[in-house]
Amino acid sequence: MNLFMSQVGAIVWKDFVTELKTRELFSAMFIFALLVILIFIFSVNLSVVDANEVGPGILWVAFLFSGTIGLNRSFMLEKENDCIMGLMLVPADRTVIYFGKLISNFIFLSIMELFILPLFMIFFNVDLLAHLFPLLLIIVLGTLGFCALGTLLSSLASNLKSREIMLPILLYPLLVPIVIAVVRMTGLVLNGEPLSEMMNWIGLTACFDIIYIGVSIMTIDHILEE
Amino acid sequence: MADNPQPSDSVIKVHQLRKEFGVLKAVDGISFELKRGEFLSVFGPNGAGKTTLIKILAGLTRASSGTAIVAGYEVGEGRAEMRSEIGVISHSTALYGDLTPLENLIFLGKMYGLENPKDSALAVLEDVGLAPRRHDRVRTFSRGMLQRLSIARAILHDPSILFLDEPFTGLDIHASNVLKEHLQTLHNKKRTILMTTHDVSCGLEMCDKVALQVMGRFAFFEDVKTVEKENFEALYFDAVRNNQFTMGIRQHDTRLKT
Repeated sequence: MNLFMSQVGAIVWKDFVTELKTRELFSAMFIFALLVILIFIFSVNLSVVDANEVGPGILWVAFLFSGTIGLNRSFMLEKENDCIMGLMLVPADRTVIYFGKLISNFIFLSIMELFILPLFMIFFNVDLLAHLFPLLLIIVLGTLGFCALGTLLSSLASNLKSREIMLPILLYPLLVPIVIAVVRMTGLVLNGEPLSEMMNWIGLTACFDIIYIGVSIMTIDHILEE
Repeated sequence: MADNPQPSDSVIKVHQLRKEFGVLKAVDGISFELKRGEFLSVFGPNGAGKTTLIKILAGLTRASSGTAIVAGYEVGEGRAEMRSEIGVISHSTALYGDLTPLENLIFLGKMYGLENPKDSALAVLEDVGLAPRRHDRVRTFSRGMLQRLSIARAILHDPSILFLDEPFTGLDIHASNVLKEHLQTLHNKKRTILMTTHDVSCGLEMCDKVALQVMGRFAFFEDVKTVEKENFEALYFDAVRNNQFTMGIRQHDTRLKT
């Protein structure tokens, strides 16, 4: 177990060192998410429309679209110089690779989301601080589900010629349950509803997180093998 | 398959190994054995299936049929124990371009579960002569330096078996000599080595056994002591020129004997 954890940690460390040197992933995700929010600001008349109604959808569109850029890059890094072969040769379970990449993706996306939230608050004039804890819980659950499925599918898509196109085509339909749940929950939170009013949605999101991770554990071996 | 390694004199034992990609037979019924400390050079024209053979033995791809036992473990079952016994140098470097050589090797050391990855990394970098460049990004390295770093990557965890896929490709004469010295040292340390190469002189000089792979099959597999270089060279060039397997090639065995 210790070796498993240290191997997962090594992959996360390697991804972080690479990102600190290149700053390619974070900057691309952040700028893309910012642009999505700016486009919506200009296309939605906030004097007519309630920001609490449209805000959650816009926020999650920004998170998911920019997150897809991160997922696409995630396994591309391993494809360069066939580094994935080096990972396949180490005496580690294939799930080590999956969990390492999942945690890296989750942390990168979470950091980007933390930077986007204050900007969203300013542009949409929404008070997020009053609902910070429930909002963070929802973001964590949604981001985890997105990364759990996204990491699996990005490993699959990285073997395909049209990988940039294939990842969203495969990912978004399967993410529908989580997207519906997190957008609804974010709306409820912004309208001041307590968490106890949305336990069904929380349960649904948590279940899908577990399902996505479970399916990934069962299939990653076959996906990573040539 | 038992959990424990299968006891045997042979470190690598291959029986009727086959790998098919549709109608193409990349590996077609190869059988051979290597004992601990033996060095096998595999020659063959492009597309003969040498890389596929190494990929199967390293557990990177599954065979269509047949069995291969490496370090006592049957390959193709994703056994972590077997992978800790092997080191691989392939066409691609499997190195992260944005990391330094030291960072690359520390990362791999952690993945191999080494006790002190940094010390091990520094030691192998010293071995391959890249210690002075340990803080430079790998992306800035020449082909020869990358190859030396690939060697460092392959021997970092001190494997007992090495699979080398055309390791001399792209090396200048100095780097080539350095690699030869390293391989000789590893051979002296009783490491079992399987190397594919097109360099007849170098391949024959270092090995104990020699094989010629043509169209997925071992057309020739002998002890190097019984092989005369000029004759083998002629046979190899014939195989490259014709690039097709003919059973008749085996009949030429007589001209190979000293």
